[in-house]
Amino acid sequence: MIDLQGYGPRLIEGAGVTIQLAVLSLILAIILGLLTASAKMSRNWLAHRLATLYTTLIRGVPDLVLMMLFFFGGQIGVNMITDWLYYSFDIDIFININAFVAGVVTIGLIFGAYMGETFRGAFMAVDNGQIEAGKAYGMSDGLVFRRVRFPQMMRHALPGLSNNWMVLLKTTALVSVIGLSDMVRVASEASKATREPFTFMIIVALIYLLIASVSEWIFARLQKRYNIGYGEAD
Amino acid sequence: MAATPTPLEVRNIKKRFGDTEVLKGLSLQAQKGDVITLIGASGSGKSTFLRCMNLLEQPDDGDLIVHGDPIRFKTTKHGREPEDWKQVVQMRAKLSMVFQSFNLWAHMTLLENIIEAPIHVLKKPKKEALEHAHALLDRVGLTARANAYPAQMSGGQQQRGAIARALAMDPEVMLFDEPTSALDPELVGDVLKVMHDLAEEGRTMVVVTHEMGFARDVSSQVIYLHEGLVEEAGPPADVLDNPQSPRLQQFLAPKY
Repeated sequence: MIDLQGYGPRLIEGAGVTIQLAVLSLILAIILGLLTASAKMSRNWLAHRLATLYTTLIRGVPDLVLMMLFFFGGQIGVNMITDWLYYSFDIDIFININAFVAGVVTIGLIFGAYMGETFRGAFMAVDNGQIEAGKAYGMSDGLVFRRVRFPQMMRHALPGLSNNWMVLLKTTALVSVIGLSDMVRVASEASKATREPFTFMIIVALIYLLIASVSEWIFARLQKRYNIGYGEAD
Repeated sequence: MAATPTPLEVRNIKKRFGDTEVLKGLSLQAQKGDVITLIGASGSGKSTFLRCMNLLEQPDDGDLIVHGDPIRFKTTKHGREPEDWKQVVQMRAKLSMVFQSFNLWAHMTLLENIIEAPIHVLKKPKKEALEHAHALLDRVGLTARANAYPAQMSGGQQQRGAIARALAMDPEVMLFDEPTSALDPELVGDVLKVMHDLAEEGRTMVVVTHEMGFARDVSSQVIYLHEGLVEEAGPPADVLDNPQSPRLQQFLAPKY
């Protein structure tokens, strides 16, 4: 058996941080992605421009740069605001940008831009006749979205969504640079202390693989569910 | 007089797509039990006219009155729009449409398709909706296909299923947009038979069709459209058997 030299519990905690970070970022990314896709498909000029600006900015800047920008830059920005509040209005507050929150926000923002494109393509792949049938039967726009557009869109979105999730999962490793104790950071600390990097990195690799395999299984189930009615499942 | 309101009345509907005016002022009044068929060459505007009746297309001008309730419109920079979309949604629930390409929801079984709008739009209890759905499936001869998905059904079955879905709304008026045009010839008969029965039991229907035999048998009124205008209208005995205008005569003449 591999000797973890007492780092076992901390590695498990680190894996927990990784999973929480990834899942919360995914949720944020899905929400932002749906909003971006709607904005890009809307006839509102401003919404369309803002969404395009957002995706262009995010896709053009490296993830690591964005993360440090939000974490360090964000703290400086917040400090400037709180200083100004203190000197101008005598309001004394202190806001500390939490590394976990910064991580979720950054990863969510990055992947929201990618999800936006995935969802936009998927929404456009839904046959318009299906939507018209909903309208013709007295469904409100919200009901058409919930009962027809969303379930039919998901069939087209899932392959891209699962791909984005895999990349997102691996991107969480970047949070170790802003001081968050995810499993990569724990493993790298353990490697330095014990001088056995291989032992710890192989374990981290295996945990990532395990999470990825479980996700693949979940996505396959979801795909099957949303393919219902299209001849691939019964 | 305590007469029930006219189920559907449209007045002076105009519609343009870009520079082309496709509807140049069309009116129609469907009394209870009327079967009105719209005929005309492709491009005459008959489908667009039908789609203006439930506002799947927004007419640029004209009035739409469903069961005595006039739809209110306003003008915005995007053109003319309904003032209150809630009113439109309620209006649409009173008219159900049968499409040329069926448009059964692909991710639901036939049974789920039929109970969907009664449950979510009309807020019927599920048990009641299911009972009604089973009776309708029996009526269109699809009891055995209740749990099939649209992709597993033939075109004729899908269209009969779509008619059952329309009936499940207990609609004031049924709108049919070329319901047999996408079907293989051997499947047309079953769908027409169902529609024939509906006409006989006194359903109010507006039907866009190319089936002249059907139009002759069931219509109370036939309207022949040409380039967005009514060229001839009246009972089938006049319009179909004794056409006045050379255009309609040519339209009805055998094509071979």
